[in-house]
Amino acid sequence: MTAWVAKNRTTLVVAAVVIVAAYVFYYAKNDIAPSMFGAAWGYAIPLVLAALVGVIGERSGVVNIGIEGQMLLAAFAGFFAAAFSGSMIVGILAGVGTGLLAGGFLAWTTVRWRMDQIIAGVVLNIVATGLTSFYLVSGKILPGVIPNIEVPVLSAIPLIGDVFFSGRSAIALVAIIAAVTVHLALFHSRWGLRTRAVGEYPSAADTAGINVERLRLVNVTIAGSLAGLAGVYLSMDASSSFERGMTAGRGFLALAIMIMGAWRPLRAFAMALFFGFVNAVASQLQQTGGVSIPPQLTGTLPYVATLVVLAVAAGRVRAPGAVGQPYVKKDQ
Amino acid sequence: MKSPRYLVAVPAALALALAGCGGSTGTTGGGSTATGSTDAGAPTDDSNCGDAEVFCIGLVTDTGKVDDKSFNQSAHEGALAAQAETNGFYKYVETQDPKDYAPNMAQFTNKKYDVVVTVGFLMTEATATAAAASPDTKFIGVDQFFDPEAVTAKNVTGILFPEDQAGYGAGYLAGLMTKTNKLGQVLGQEIPPVQKFAKGFEAGAKAANPEVTVSTVYHPAGDNAFNDPVWGAGEAKKMLAQKADIIFGAGGNTGNGALQEVAKASGAGESLFCIGVDTDQWDTVPAAQPCLITSAMKLITEGVTDTIITAKDGEFEGLTTMGAAGLAPYHDFEDKIPEDVKTKVADIVSQMEAGTLETGVTL
Repeated sequence: MTAWVAKNRTTLVVAAVVIVAAYVFYYAKNDIAPSMFGAAWGYAIPLVLAALVGVIGERSGVVNIGIEGQMLLAAFAGFFAAAFSGSMIVGILAGVGTGLLAGGFLAWTTVRWRMDQIIAGVVLNIVATGLTSFYLVSGKILPGVIPNIEVPVLSAIPLIGDVFFSGRSAIALVAIIAAVTVHLALFHSRWGLRTRAVGEYPSAADTAGINVERLRLVNVTIAGSLAGLAGVYLSMDASSSFERGMTAGRGFLALAIMIMGAWRPLRAFAMALFFGFVNAVASQLQQTGGVSIPPQLTGTLPYVATLVVLAVAAGRVRAPGAVGQPYVKKDQ
Repeated sequence: MKSPRYLVAVPAALALALAGCGGSTGTTGGGSTATGSTDAGAPTDDSNCGDAEVFCIGLVTDTGKVDDKSFNQSAHEGALAAQAETNGFYKYVETQDPKDYAPNMAQFTNKKYDVVVTVGFLMTEATATAAAASPDTKFIGVDQFFDPEAVTAKNVTGILFPEDQAGYGAGYLAGLMTKTNKLGQVLGQEIPPVQKFAKGFEAGAKAANPEVTVSTVYHPAGDNAFNDPVWGAGEAKKMLAQKADIIFGAGGNTGNGALQEVAKASGAGESLFCIGVDTDQWDTVPAAQPCLITSAMKLITEGVTDTIITAKDGEFEGLTTMGAAGLAPYHDFEDKIPEDVKTKVADIVSQMEAGTLETGVTL
């Protein structure tokens, strides 16, 4: 325990300061603070899910810059499956399934065919933009809404309960659970050890008897379901319409968050929240007026904050060793 | 083992074919729509646009889409109506990137189109340049103001709308309807037409109810400011949590996201309302109907149609053509809005139309 504390001292101190500051703000400005934290989390949900897709992929050694396209395809499939079938459940399943398919496409092209991973991701993004624009039908509406969930007991906690455990749909809960699960699985399970080995030093993993190709295929494909869920969140939960290009760069933002989070699920979660909060501050500054700052300037706040965090954290984060390189057995 | 890389060519080619290069296009020749006998003999392609008797209309959007359910769609419908009326040919291009404004317009001028409609404030400069370069084509710029000192071409006019009046009327209604004295506006990019809506709304709300406070947010990013419904919804949610009870969503799909968020909130249509923009969004955004009491309209469709007809018949009246603005019907809220409120709003609107009431909005 003490060893763990000593090892993670910086993280713990930062976390403690942030939590104390959040509670102080929460009680001091109770008229606006809860809604700002809520907006931060609402902004962060798709980023958390998408960043996890990136983390799983890159930890296995596959760069996924096609997250944007995966989300867009899933948002499209989910919305229209729900609109045409009249069932939200069908829509959600279709969205997640589409995410899986898109993940499978990326996995197959990059791992089996050893296509350049960047090009495969770009192709996925372009295909997604093309398909979703081409087959778009106007004037459809969702048959219902994804219901909000109040988690018993947890929702009564001040601040944390308000933000994370009430007034949000199940997708938000899944995002939290997924971040924790991926963290535990990655660092405390056999699958995690193998995945990291495959991402760091695939030839060593291969020598140890791990099927590198199969593990990468499975990981990248399964991670696609999270991108699918993020897409469903965008078109069926956070808004209730599908619009062309509605992912609006969130897939790329998620990659930045993955890097800021040092390829670790929980840190990526924290970074997504941080990014969401800076966004909420930016819009609150505009909204309350008083200080007259042009929105173009406040709008840069999240990016300036990103730069600062990256600059401070630079040198301490390191990408998995084999990221971006297809694995070819030497004897072939 | 040799990996079959050529297989990736299939999805790549598919992607390129579908995504297009300069933007999506669509055409409507009068003859191909097969709506009736009246348009028999209308041209079905643009190969003869140079002929005097063939009337060709081209439309270039700003980075918005012709199915955005508000601004661009209205202009597109206006051009369609003009095409039907003039028995001409119509084609549109959706711009994907601002640097394509000029090439997209050149697609039309190269084929000697008679009229090119450019939609959106952001295309002002590109339109003026193109008009100077192609004196045989008439240019109509929606939401564009051409400075008489800088633009000498006679073949161009900008349609301007009194957005501030529409915003003022909507704000007046909101000021009378609010119970919490807090209103919110979720807006697209901070450009003059949007600012005029927003400032008009605020001025109208304060005129109706001095107690009222109006929270205003513009989308910070430049390139997707009018196409980010998720951001709009998030901002609306935040404003509702801060006790705003009427939200004005003005900014294409971004604003539509805000309207839909209010429509989903509990109390929508009872204690929470929303107000749309540009067109009567009761028809264009059905998901917003639970809360949509009215829309601050600018009559783009009519303005575009009329101006195209003017262009066909002769010369523009000048560098600026004034369009009209107003409030959309209350639809299902006709009975829920108190009589005296409706009377007061109608009074304000007629005063603005008569020119006896100034909104006091300056940019």
